[in-house]
Amino acid sequence: MTPDVATPFPLLSLLLWLPLGGTLLCLLLRHSSNLCRWISLLTTLTVLVVALGMAVSSIGGSGWLFYEDAAWIEPFGIRYTLGMDGISLLLVLLTALLQVAAILISWRQKQRPALFYALVLVMETGIIGVFLSLDLILFYLFWELMLIPMFFLIGVWGHENRVYAAVKFFFFTLAGSLFLLLAIIWLYLLHGGQTGDYSFALDALRQTVLTPGQEMILYIGFMLAFIVKVPLFPFHTWLPDAHTEAPPAGSVDLAGLLLKTGVYGMIRFAFPLFPAAAQKSLPFLAILALVGIFYAAWIAYVQTDMKRVIAYSSVAHLGFVILGLAAWNQLAWEGSLLLMINHGITTGGLFVMIAMIQDRSGTRELGKLGGLWTVFPNLSAFFLLFCLSSLGLPGLANFAGEILVLLGAFKADPLWGGMAVAGVVFSAAYMLRVVQSALWGESKKLARNDDLAVREWLILVPLAALVVLLGVYPAPVLEFLREPVSLLLETGGMP
Amino acid sequence: MNPLLLFLIPILPLFGGVINVCFGSRLPHRLVSGLSVAAVSGSFLLATLLWPLGSGEGTRVVLFSWLKSAGFQADVGILFDPLAAVMTLMVTGVATLIHLYAAGYMAEDESPARFFALLNLFVFAMLCIVLADNLLFLFLGWEGVGFCSYGLIGFWYRNSKNASAGRKAFIVTRIGDLFFAIALLWLFSAFGTVMIEQINARVAELDPLLLTGLTLLLLGGACGKSAQLPLMSWLPDAMAGPTPVSALIHAATMVTAGVYLLCRMFPLVSLSPTGMAAIALVGALTALYAASCALAQREIKRVLAYSTMSQIGYMFLAVGVGTVSGAMFHLLTHAFFKALLFMGAGCVIHLAGGENDIYRMGGLKEKSPQVFWLFLVGILCLAGTPLTGGFFSKDAILLTAFAAGDGFYATLWGIGVLTAGLTSFYSFRLLYLVFFGTARQAGQGHAPSPLMLWTLPPLALLGLCTGLLNLPHLFGGHEWLTLWLGQPMAEMLPVGTEIGLLFLMLIFFVGGWVIAHVRYRTFPGDEQAGWRSFLLSGWQADRVYELILLRPYRAICRFCWQGGDKALIDGVMEGLARLCLHWGDYVRRLSNGQVAFYLQGFAWGLLLIVGWFLLASVK
Repeated sequence: MTPDVATPFPLLSLLLWLPLGGTLLCLLLRHSSNLCRWISLLTTLTVLVVALGMAVSSIGGSGWLFYEDAAWIEPFGIRYTLGMDGISLLLVLLTALLQVAAILISWRQKQRPALFYALVLVMETGIIGVFLSLDLILFYLFWELMLIPMFFLIGVWGHENRVYAAVKFFFFTLAGSLFLLLAIIWLYLLHGGQTGDYSFALDALRQTVLTPGQEMILYIGFMLAFIVKVPLFPFHTWLPDAHTEAPPAGSVDLAGLLLKTGVYGMIRFAFPLFPAAAQKSLPFLAILALVGIFYAAWIAYVQTDMKRVIAYSSVAHLGFVILGLAAWNQLAWEGSLLLMINHGITTGGLFVMIAMIQDRSGTRELGKLGGLWTVFPNLSAFFLLFCLSSLGLPGLANFAGEILVLLGAFKADPLWGGMAVAGVVFSAAYMLRVVQSALWGESKKLARNDDLAVREWLILVPLAALVVLLGVYPAPVLEFLREPVSLLLETGGMP
Repeated sequence: MNPLLLFLIPILPLFGGVINVCFGSRLPHRLVSGLSVAAVSGSFLLATLLWPLGSGEGTRVVLFSWLKSAGFQADVGILFDPLAAVMTLMVTGVATLIHLYAAGYMAEDESPARFFALLNLFVFAMLCIVLADNLLFLFLGWEGVGFCSYGLIGFWYRNSKNASAGRKAFIVTRIGDLFFAIALLWLFSAFGTVMIEQINARVAELDPLLLTGLTLLLLGGACGKSAQLPLMSWLPDAMAGPTPVSALIHAATMVTAGVYLLCRMFPLVSLSPTGMAAIALVGALTALYAASCALAQREIKRVLAYSTMSQIGYMFLAVGVGTVSGAMFHLLTHAFFKALLFMGAGCVIHLAGGENDIYRMGGLKEKSPQVFWLFLVGILCLAGTPLTGGFFSKDAILLTAFAAGDGFYATLWGIGVLTAGLTSFYSFRLLYLVFFGTARQAGQGHAPSPLMLWTLPPLALLGLCTGLLNLPHLFGGHEWLTLWLGQPMAEMLPVGTEIGLLFLMLIFFVGGWVIAHVRYRTFPGDEQAGWRSFLLSGWQADRVYELILLRPYRAICRFCWQGGDKALIDGVMEGLARLCLHWGDYVRRLSNGQVAFYLQGFAWGLLLIVGWFLLASVK
């Protein structure tokens, strides 16, 4: 594993630690909330610009686009290894983008603003770390680092039932992570025992010789953590609660980013480390995914809280993503990853907009909303666009990913693909129900009746533009995915 | 001519739509409508100019690759062949007239930008269906028209009934789309491509069973979009939209997309006898069902909606008996006269002061002879009056069905003839109730604007004369449309049989007319009871669907939520949590703060450990 690109400047570390720097600044200057939000906005913007620059500079590149490796805790063979291929690059870009939106949507944060922004920034470091780490301990560190800020964001800044939701979120994910930690340590010991080289490097651990039984147990340990995070049916019940109670920025991060770390964990770690066990598990994954697609879509149809509808829709969409992974071919995987990114943007946009609607109408209850189009035509038009993308209208973002997943899944097993298509009808049912209750009908009593402000335009225009662009011309994204996906499928992913 | 110019045909309306979406609300009313009319008429002009590109094998051009991944490729590409050329010309032509009409009709509306943006986007999406060179791009248009239809049916969204009608249309047609999508996936896995030309060229390789499956799936998709049994119930409700929308989307273009799809994929469809029989059966049954419903409708637009459904049934029948040119012929004539009828109905509703119920109209002939004559032309075409466009196209289909010979197709032919009689009856019923007798409307109507009126004569002319497009040999014609489409000529029946059949048709036509004349020439009074209410409700289709589909669906949804998520999953999880709490509580009691108790524990522990070691050393 020799990196092709030796960067003179540690760009990956810059990406990774910039947000944490912002956190420190926020905490130091916590008395001026105005300064804090500008610091956090500038930090997230800088990360976005750096990530964009890295993306532009690595168009057409192959192998690890960026790579860093340094000794860290040598007695245990723990290294500081970061690597970025096309997949991580796209996910980091998504993270950087959504974090800017998350900061902007919390611009008027009144309760303990400094701490709030600081936590959002810590989370950014955690998420980027997950997408970049190639050392299992480092990975686990960032994996847990994501958890803590989210716990506080929900528990402190959440809505009425926040403590229940925060604790539920914490325990579900923590329970999953513990198995991950145990599995990592066991794998480390097995590998060290075999080779004498005690290392947590992903590449080294892949060489470990395992009996089928060991492999399966370790695989399940890894997968439990990832499945809970995705979340796959039946481990999803933490998500609707967490979403409902989380503040807007928390919801954006949850749906847009945290869920994706689970999928990323599967393709980067679980599948390459335990390929035989992974192959055996594919039918089960497909079944869970299919059940999730229908089950979540059905439940979404009878929710009355807008956030819960979108939360369940995320479960259904992530079902498509996992189905694509289970299909195990290039087409479906490219589709899954594209869908993951597009879902992040679409759902991020939806949660941003729900916050705006709640700001104006004082409620998220579908029964109490109505006729928003009359009062807020611009806001409603954007909302409609994101809803249409979410229900899979061709030409918008989600469809591009979904259709590739379906094509790939159909190729793997016609039954999977054929059944999953039916999920699309149900998604139309619940999304149009939201649109109808919120936008159409007579307008109801509102707290404010001003249409979009400049700050809100700034959030929505880029997201909406991406929804259209990625729907019409996803080629650049697919270009980044092509090589890493084929490597992951064929050799387990090491350039 | 640069074939890339073909892309301007769909792009112009897209452009018009996007401009109106982004800036329309800040532009003056006239500019908004003017822009969208200009965009569509530009497309029409281009379609006329580029017509030669469509001849023979046609022209294929690609703009860029939309989706490309691991062996899958879907381009934004156009296949401009004879079939597409005919359809493009019709769509853009009719759309231009209807846009003009709409500029007059919506002159007073408060949000013209949204209306014209959606209307333009609709034309764009429809042209994608027509022109697409691959099924995925076609699917983009397919779903796109569905969305625009949704937005336009619910255009007056403040009344949530309208919005619900739009939602119903979207979801019911999407059930059809599901079948289409599966067909698409299947075709790709069979051929490794979604290009229409390549698929059609290679269909012979397929297993007959697979072919039948694919045909039935495509039929399912077509049924949704074209409101055929059993996915028909959305169309009558779709009349909640503004009248130009009904004329454009729910009469002339979108609802015929299903027929077009089957024609586009005809080389595939035609190889499956079972599939063809199914298509013909669905068509004939829908034709009869919808005609029977039209007998008892009270709202002028619902009569027309059911008649549209019925006429599309004829087109399906045509495809099913194997005559693409027959289907396209009827599609064209129907587009003209039905657009005419809907736009006439818009004028009628204005004249009657916003009244929809034909039992509360009457006497409008005196009020506006011009509208009467134009509407009469539409009615004559619809009823199949000899020598009008509708007569020739309907007759061609029935003749082919008769010529197919066997008992099954003969039965369908019989249904078709019977339906023709019903059609004649309900057409004239509509005419008499609206235009004859005494005026019964309450409101004071106003005359339609000149812009609205002057868009009707061209359609009337087209409706009357399109028969010439495919004039059969019996009448001295050369079946030009069939030649252009490169389809085989209709089988020649013996001239005697053909004339005999024509007379039979004539009898049914006259019969329907006479009965309508006797019953409705003078107003018979309100009629509602009994079998009429059954027909009025479309054979209670909505109630049946509510009972067998919607209620169970909602019950399942609620069960998954309350029973699955809340009771089962969260129940287990919270049960585990309580168990932990319980154990924790038990252990907590050990730390009771009494030093004596702790010491005791310490002593016992020590004893245990020492004992352990002792035992171990003994061994």
